[in-house]
Amino acid sequence: MNARKLQVALYWGAACGGCDVAVLDTDEFVLDLAEAADIRFWPIAVDGKYDDLEAMADGELDLALFNGAVRNSENEHVAKLLRAKSRLLVAFGSCAHMGGIPGLANLTCKEDILATVYLANPSIEPGNKTVPQARVLADGGELIIPTFYRRVYSLADVVDVDYFVPGCPPAPDQVKNVLLAVVRGQLPPRKSVLGAGERALCDECRRTKSEKKIKRFHRPHEVVQDPERCLLEQGILCLGPATRSGCGVRCPDSNQGCRGCYGPPSGVKDQGARFLSALASVVDSKDPGEIEEILAGLPDFAGFAYRFSVPTSTLQRSHRP
Amino acid sequence: MSYEPKLVAFLCNWCSYAGADLAGTSRIQYPPNVRVVRVMCSARVEPAFVLEALARGADGVLLCGCHPGDCHYSEGNYKAMRRFPLLKQVLQAYGVEGERVRLEWVSASEGQRFADIVADMTVRLRALGPSRVKSTLQADLVER
Amino acid sequence: MAQPRIGVFICNCGTNISHVVDTEAVRDHALSLPGVESVRTYKYMCSNPGQEMIAAEVRERGLDRVVVAACSPRMHERTFRGASRAAGLNPYLFDMANIREQCSWVHADGPAATLKAAALTRAAVFRVARQEPLEGLTAEMCPTTLVLGGGIAGLTAALELADGGYPVVLVERTDRLGGNLARVDLTAPHLDSARDLLTERITRVRSQPNITVLLHTQLKSLSGFVGNYTAVVEATKGVAALAEPVRVGNVIVATGYREFDASRVTHYGWGKLPNVVTSFEFEKMLRAGRIETKDGRAPRYAAIVHCVGSRSREFHGYCSRVCCMTALKYSQEIKSAVPDCYVSDLYIDMHAFGKGCEDFYKRGSEVKTLFLMYGKNERPVIRRASPGDDCDMLIEVDEQLSGERIEIPADLVVLMVGMEAREDAGEVARLVNISQDKDGWFMESHPKLDPVATTTDGIYIAGTCASPKDIPDTVAQARAAAGRILARIARGKIEIDGVFAEVDEERCSGCRICNELCPYSAVEFDGEKKRSHVIPAACKACGACVAACPSGAVKARHFTSEQILAQVEGILA
Repeated sequence: MNARKLQVALYWGAACGGCDVAVLDTDEFVLDLAEAADIRFWPIAVDGKYDDLEAMADGELDLALFNGAVRNSENEHVAKLLRAKSRLLVAFGSCAHMGGIPGLANLTCKEDILATVYLANPSIEPGNKTVPQARVLADGGELIIPTFYRRVYSLADVVDVDYFVPGCPPAPDQVKNVLLAVVRGQLPPRKSVLGAGERALCDECRRTKSEKKIKRFHRPHEVVQDPERCLLEQGILCLGPATRSGCGVRCPDSNQGCRGCYGPPSGVKDQGARFLSALASVVDSKDPGEIEEILAGLPDFAGFAYRFSVPTSTLQRSHRP
Repeated sequence: MSYEPKLVAFLCNWCSYAGADLAGTSRIQYPPNVRVVRVMCSARVEPAFVLEALARGADGVLLCGCHPGDCHYSEGNYKAMRRFPLLKQVLQAYGVEGERVRLEWVSASEGQRFADIVADMTVRLRALGPSRVKSTLQADLVER
Repeated sequence: MAQPRIGVFICNCGTNISHVVDTEAVRDHALSLPGVESVRTYKYMCSNPGQEMIAAEVRERGLDRVVVAACSPRMHERTFRGASRAAGLNPYLFDMANIREQCSWVHADGPAATLKAAALTRAAVFRVARQEPLEGLTAEMCPTTLVLGGGIAGLTAALELADGGYPVVLVERTDRLGGNLARVDLTAPHLDSARDLLTERITRVRSQPNITVLLHTQLKSLSGFVGNYTAVVEATKGVAALAEPVRVGNVIVATGYREFDASRVTHYGWGKLPNVVTSFEFEKMLRAGRIETKDGRAPRYAAIVHCVGSRSREFHGYCSRVCCMTALKYSQEIKSAVPDCYVSDLYIDMHAFGKGCEDFYKRGSEVKTLFLMYGKNERPVIRRASPGDDCDMLIEVDEQLSGERIEIPADLVVLMVGMEAREDAGEVARLVNISQDKDGWFMESHPKLDPVATTTDGIYIAGTCASPKDIPDTVAQARAAAGRILARIARGKIEIDGVFAEVDEERCSGCRICNELCPYSAVEFDGEKKRSHVIPAACKACGACVAACPSGAVKARHFTSEQILAQVEGILA
């Protein structure tokens, strides 16, 4: 058998670094990985330039793990590069999978973002109205910086993706599982979600579940929680029923409602819409006034239900004029 | 060609669809912009259907069910009643005008009421202008 | 999935459709749609030749789906499903586009109506392509019936069923049969003896071998679905009634009512003034044959007050139906027993709606009852008289007909306490899975068209547990419920329609959001498997659980999301 090492690249688009840390969080395993693989490109951990990627032959890489969302033309450019140069391209983490936290920017617009950061900010010196431009003439030459797109995209919106590893970040155990699966060549059909279960989180969650009837919503700190009972039944928001399992139930086990970072369960396209329907259905009232009162306990429902998935939701982004 | 709103309506079999049929047997006229999808109960209507309709080009979506207390399946319309305010919240977050989606109770005997609701909604949708959802999503595809 | 072969049939409906909709244009459009193999137009598609055309076309063109663009499916879905079946297709591989009631009849603009008809036809074509053949199911119908309550309703229903040849288990909480009627002396308006009525019933019940009477017994749990229920009963006192759970096919709930607690109306003085009695206390006197005050005297003045606890903002808003006639009965009985007694009848309205009741009312005035009308929320006030007065109590009332505030004497006051739902009604409702209305009465399936059935198939309600009513109506309901069950038993099996919800256990996460949503208790949770599942026989296919499932694990047969979205796509394409 060919003893050739696995050629691996890891890259971050519009990201926070957490997914890269998740790989490092596999502890000793990452050292084994360094033994078994050549990490050809990993901006956060090893030196490398885009030119190195450009120089590779198509398919020269065995595996590219792309984390972070696609916010600008640089992210898209590298996504396309990695797609060409790698046999397998994996959308790694919530942002690449669904748009993630950066995806929340889709509920506003490019103009408002730039204005907030560069114009209306109290730390900007008075009179300074400098806003970054994609192309600027300076010192006799032209400076080009990546174009800031008017919305955030998931990785699969811009390139063909082979596999999706959900999570913000993916649980270290799952990262291990995914990498081992690649190393062993034991991968399911293309386009599958890896490193996660098929069913919703409730399947993994050890809390007891019974009648679901909600009379009031509470912030987690507002009530003394029963650690054995379903959080939703206690009026504490938990996106678990509409979220894919596989993370080890870390959040409900820490008495926090699931935030949905593993995306919707298998077969569901729009996580927020499914959760909306489920949650509203178990609100315990038939009176319009009372329903309004109960739902007023959800001040930012869209932000909660679509926290990680705005760009891949049905409406994808704001449609304000 | 001037804009003619596309209105998709989800009507429940026992009350609102029957009411719409009654408008027909009574020959009550209303604008042809509405196209009906029949479900057994308003409880079957998923918020996802409304979002999909908007994403596929609907300018407005009308949901009709039995009056509270009269649901053929006892409590189905209450589920619709509870889902609707949250759906409006989501639409607001996504910058879609709340007036594009409407929930109304229409009984099997309210043919005139159905026609009036459709006529009113059509007028309002005309004033609002076409929904930007589908065109914006298509433009996004071209952007990069 | 193989490419479907769809046949589209467009009806002109004489000229009902074709005078506005250009059906030929719709035909041309339909021919362009994916999967459409043939499109025919016809004058009256629902006619025999029309249906035969469908059958012929299916055979000759090898079609496996049928779309009919015509009138409303509420009109002819059944007809065309039948035609599809006759043509050899599964009836669920058929869909209809409503281009009459919701198109040609409501839009005068020909081109616009034609565009709409084409869109609706297209939507039906897209939908039918995703439809699946469905089969119904059959289940056994157990011929044993459980009757809850041994009052007149329960006794009547049990006899009807047992005389029909089927076993009945009659469960009664107390130590005897007869219910509230056993506390009554004579009935209104014909002054029959309640005892005679009941004795006849009870004797027959006791000697009917098909009826098992369980006294001191109540229902502990009921599980299953129509035709296949399992009831567990328990003793309210003493030894367990039935060791084994009993299998029943249907249940009749005939648990009756309780009387309103008169002490809640403080200015009537019940419980404080010794000669203020409730109607049931008065019945005791009548049964003993002695109408007298607490200290044993015959009353010189008697007063009867209607609507105690009924028709009031403060207590119950509804009318208790039987009290007016019972009050008239009392005035006649008092006059008959104590001819010199002055009897006043204080009422709001006289509800004399039944057979013989207006005549009964006339008799009341013939025996010189003094009728005094008071306003709905202006109750009379009863107080002790002063030592100088020649009566025990005085009643102040704003009399409506004279417009005067008057004071009448009374040695004996009878309060016509209303009916209210029993304290345990909520528990009973929960056990058999039926609903209560805002007053606690059990809810019928439809107030006009289906008064003895409930939304839970196989559970029937009869008598006063459903709402206040008199004996004729109670008996009618009891026999109606029994009759419905007899018809069901006669069919032998129950047919379960092929349209119901199904849980995909591979996708169900056991979150249990669905369980409470079903008004028919059709979605059960298996604690061991940690998955929910739908009981097809109990499911009415409303789709509430389908839409609510956060995993999308519940599928609505014949109304799947794919089918509905295909329709939306067809409309907007």
